[in-house]
Amino acid sequence: MSMPPRSRTGSGPLIAGLIIVAVVAIAAIALLAAGITPERAWNSFFPVGGTGGVTDRSRDVQRLYDIVFYIAAVVFILVEGLIVYSVFRYRRKSTDTDLPPQIHGNNLVEVIWTVIPTAIVLVLFALSWQTINQVEAKVPAEVHVRAVAARYQWSFDYLAADGKTILFTQSLPVGEDGGLVLPVGEPVLIDLRSEDVIHAFYVPKFLFKRDVVPGRLNQFNFTVDEPGTYRGQCAELCGPFHGSMLFEVHARPKAEFDQWLADQIAKANATPAPAPSGDAAGPVIQLAAQNVAFTSATLEVPAGPFTIHFKNEDPAVPHNVEIKDASGAQVFKGDIVTGPIETDYRVSALAAGTYTFVCTVHPNMTGTLTVN
Amino acid sequence: MATTTLHPAAPAYRSRSTLYDWLTTTDHKKIGIMYLINSLMFFVAGGILALVVRVELAQPGLQIVSEEFYNQAFTMHASFMLFLFIIPILAGFGNYIVPLMIGAPDMAFPRINALSLWLLPLGGLLMASGFFVSGGAAAAGWTEYPPLSGAKFSGTGTDLWIMGLTLIGTSSILGAINFLVTIFKMRAPGMTLFRMPVMVWTVLVTSILVLMATPVLTSALIMLFIDRNYGGHFFDPNNGGNAILYQNVFWFYSHPAVYIMILPAMGIISEVLPVFSRKPLFGYKAFVFATVGIGALGFSVWAHHMFTTGAVFLPFFSLMTFLIAVPTGVKMFNWIATLWRGQLTFATPLLFATGFLMLFLIGGLNGAFSAAVPVDFALHDTYWVVAHLHYVLFGGSVFGVFAGIYYWFPKMTGRMLDEGLGKLQFVLMFIGFNLTFFPMHQLGLAGMPRRIADYAASTGWSELNTVATIGGFIIAASMLPFFWNVLVSLRSGKVAGDDPWEANTLEWATSSPPPPYNFDHLPEIRSERPVFDARHGRTTNH
Repeated sequence: MSMPPRSRTGSGPLIAGLIIVAVVAIAAIALLAAGITPERAWNSFFPVGGTGGVTDRSRDVQRLYDIVFYIAAVVFILVEGLIVYSVFRYRRKSTDTDLPPQIHGNNLVEVIWTVIPTAIVLVLFALSWQTINQVEAKVPAEVHVRAVAARYQWSFDYLAADGKTILFTQSLPVGEDGGLVLPVGEPVLIDLRSEDVIHAFYVPKFLFKRDVVPGRLNQFNFTVDEPGTYRGQCAELCGPFHGSMLFEVHARPKAEFDQWLADQIAKANATPAPAPSGDAAGPVIQLAAQNVAFTSATLEVPAGPFTIHFKNEDPAVPHNVEIKDASGAQVFKGDIVTGPIETDYRVSALAAGTYTFVCTVHPNMTGTLTVN
Repeated sequence: MATTTLHPAAPAYRSRSTLYDWLTTTDHKKIGIMYLINSLMFFVAGGILALVVRVELAQPGLQIVSEEFYNQAFTMHASFMLFLFIIPILAGFGNYIVPLMIGAPDMAFPRINALSLWLLPLGGLLMASGFFVSGGAAAAGWTEYPPLSGAKFSGTGTDLWIMGLTLIGTSSILGAINFLVTIFKMRAPGMTLFRMPVMVWTVLVTSILVLMATPVLTSALIMLFIDRNYGGHFFDPNNGGNAILYQNVFWFYSHPAVYIMILPAMGIISEVLPVFSRKPLFGYKAFVFATVGIGALGFSVWAHHMFTTGAVFLPFFSLMTFLIAVPTGVKMFNWIATLWRGQLTFATPLLFATGFLMLFLIGGLNGAFSAAVPVDFALHDTYWVVAHLHYVLFGGSVFGVFAGIYYWFPKMTGRMLDEGLGKLQFVLMFIGFNLTFFPMHQLGLAGMPRRIADYAASTGWSELNTVATIGGFIIAASMLPFFWNVLVSLRSGKVAGDDPWEANTLEWATSSPPPPYNFDHLPEIRSERPVFDARHGRTTNH
């Protein structure tokens, strides 16, 4: 039984070629139109946009990433090239009535393409192992902090040299007055503790994450070597508001850090200040935070000073109300309070217009304030 | 020669109706087709949930769903796609095609086969019914890690998820036993193990994996159920349990499950490529050994999902994970060598098979980054991993599934699918797929974690998320020509004949669709390409 050859080398390759050219052209135009330079596009293939890590260990990870990336890129171009070449080169022609040579295999090439990949992955494994030892190395630490994760909140216990006594607790995970404050150039040891489910401590600029597992003490060492503020986030699903579980790392010069630490310890040991009085000025508007969200998305106030009666209903979660004008500049910032609690924020007169209110701790919590 | 003129005597009894006939059938072909239909329905449901996720993430801010529903959406998306689409649709192909490929009249245990099928919609509906109970469907991710999946943090939907998945697992185990007995005991005379089509080999290895791994998952699920409902403390660290234990037991199944989800798709590709390049599969035995090798190594890499837990021995699992790239690489080179100097006909099955090669390659290479443990510390649980797993399971398995559908539809129905619509589907799906999942590499590198419902505009993640969402809708659009194609072709597609592709394996030696008993006459089986041999005579020794 023989059938006529089915394939014709008709318009197929032409159409395929045109589709490919069109897609590439559209993609290039779209990228340029969005203002994305080739350099930015290239950098997006490297961790944190090619800006690199900021800890001693992250540089080792970065080096390993680069090696894996370039090897993968070469293999990609080579193998993808072979596929594309075969696809265009070996199309059946109308003259192909006889079968092509029926080659069932070749032991030599099988050995070659088994041995070469084996060699490549063994080299990669050796490099990885070396980097594991660098990243996991334990060193004596100057600063010992316990990061405590609870749904949906980070807090940081600064520990004394015995590794147990809490010097003070930084309960605000973000903001100028909050965050994990660390010295530049000093070895740091972090303990991880979970109060409920599994979380993960993740700072993209550290090129590192580690799970926070209830019932298990995970520890890791590193030294930050560039001052700055770095965003961190829970990376293990912990419930509906997992995406709101943010924190910040503030890396400060050693002297500044030491001063800050001394101040914090002094403040923690001082007697707590009396609770703010409940006297209200101007009209009082009600606002509450629940499940890491404001209960109303819009507020309206008349001109003149007013008071926000703020109710934080999230247990153990800090919230506040910060008001920003249309340009994003801060016009009011309330004290951050950890729920469940009620407080009054007195806001001085604002010009008529539209403002945004946000929670400083949770930038995803926003709403609109209209002053008439 | 594939001719069928014989006809059996009049049936002993008449079935009451077509519907009754299908619902009560034990014919592996009807069961296989019902597997495919059931799987495609869950594919659509899972796809809709994926679109919900993509629309929500397109821009910063919560637009369409609550955080609670968002978590249900991605959890059920993954559960549908993995447990109710990819695994069963490949089992469906196996059901339809394995007995035909080895020249058997049916599966070894036809009634158990029907039971395996009917457990699937039951388990699936049980799982999906979580959407209608208070607290909603399971929402702790398809991995359902405790303590988050425990009674304190998750509602009744999780119990329904556990019960549904246990039924689906039982279906898999029964199916695996059935495949193994069929393959070992029911091969036609002359069909030695090394003359079996590679597709049959992949189903064989997959069945061994299912048989060894699925009971372990079932044990994890039952322990979780006891913890949730009867005061057990298997995974409760406050009472002497261990939360990491669940992850070990879960991944001891779920990593081999990745191979359960890709090996039969590799089998499909290994049938399609030789037929459409008119050459034998290059290195048949190497390919079989690579399949067995992947199956064996697949049991020693589970903890690479747990590198960041701080509770696993990193170098060992790193080494094994790197090593499993080798047999996979061997397969890739064997496929390319099959195309090499062939005479390629770009019918839709070959288009999807080529798409598989191009995308699965990326899914292999970006996996190497996670095998390098310190790099995994940076990339784990970010969108990089989402990109990786979709390049393997969508770029790989799903493209393989569509190659299989276009390839065997003529055998199953007697009619060809339309080539124009098929090519349109392929082009849309290929572009949409890459637009959706390629930017996720960059999102992961930029630090975007998985499974978050929202992100701040200041993170700079919105551009790439918008691109990914547009891509998602292009993938959805690519399904329209497909379903239209199936509906139209069933009625008025070109009549296929016994062997429209000039194929190699025994299913093409009988009529399309085959009679209930499969074969009136078998050609002589002297190689892995008996139908080719019958057409051309043996061309070479091997």
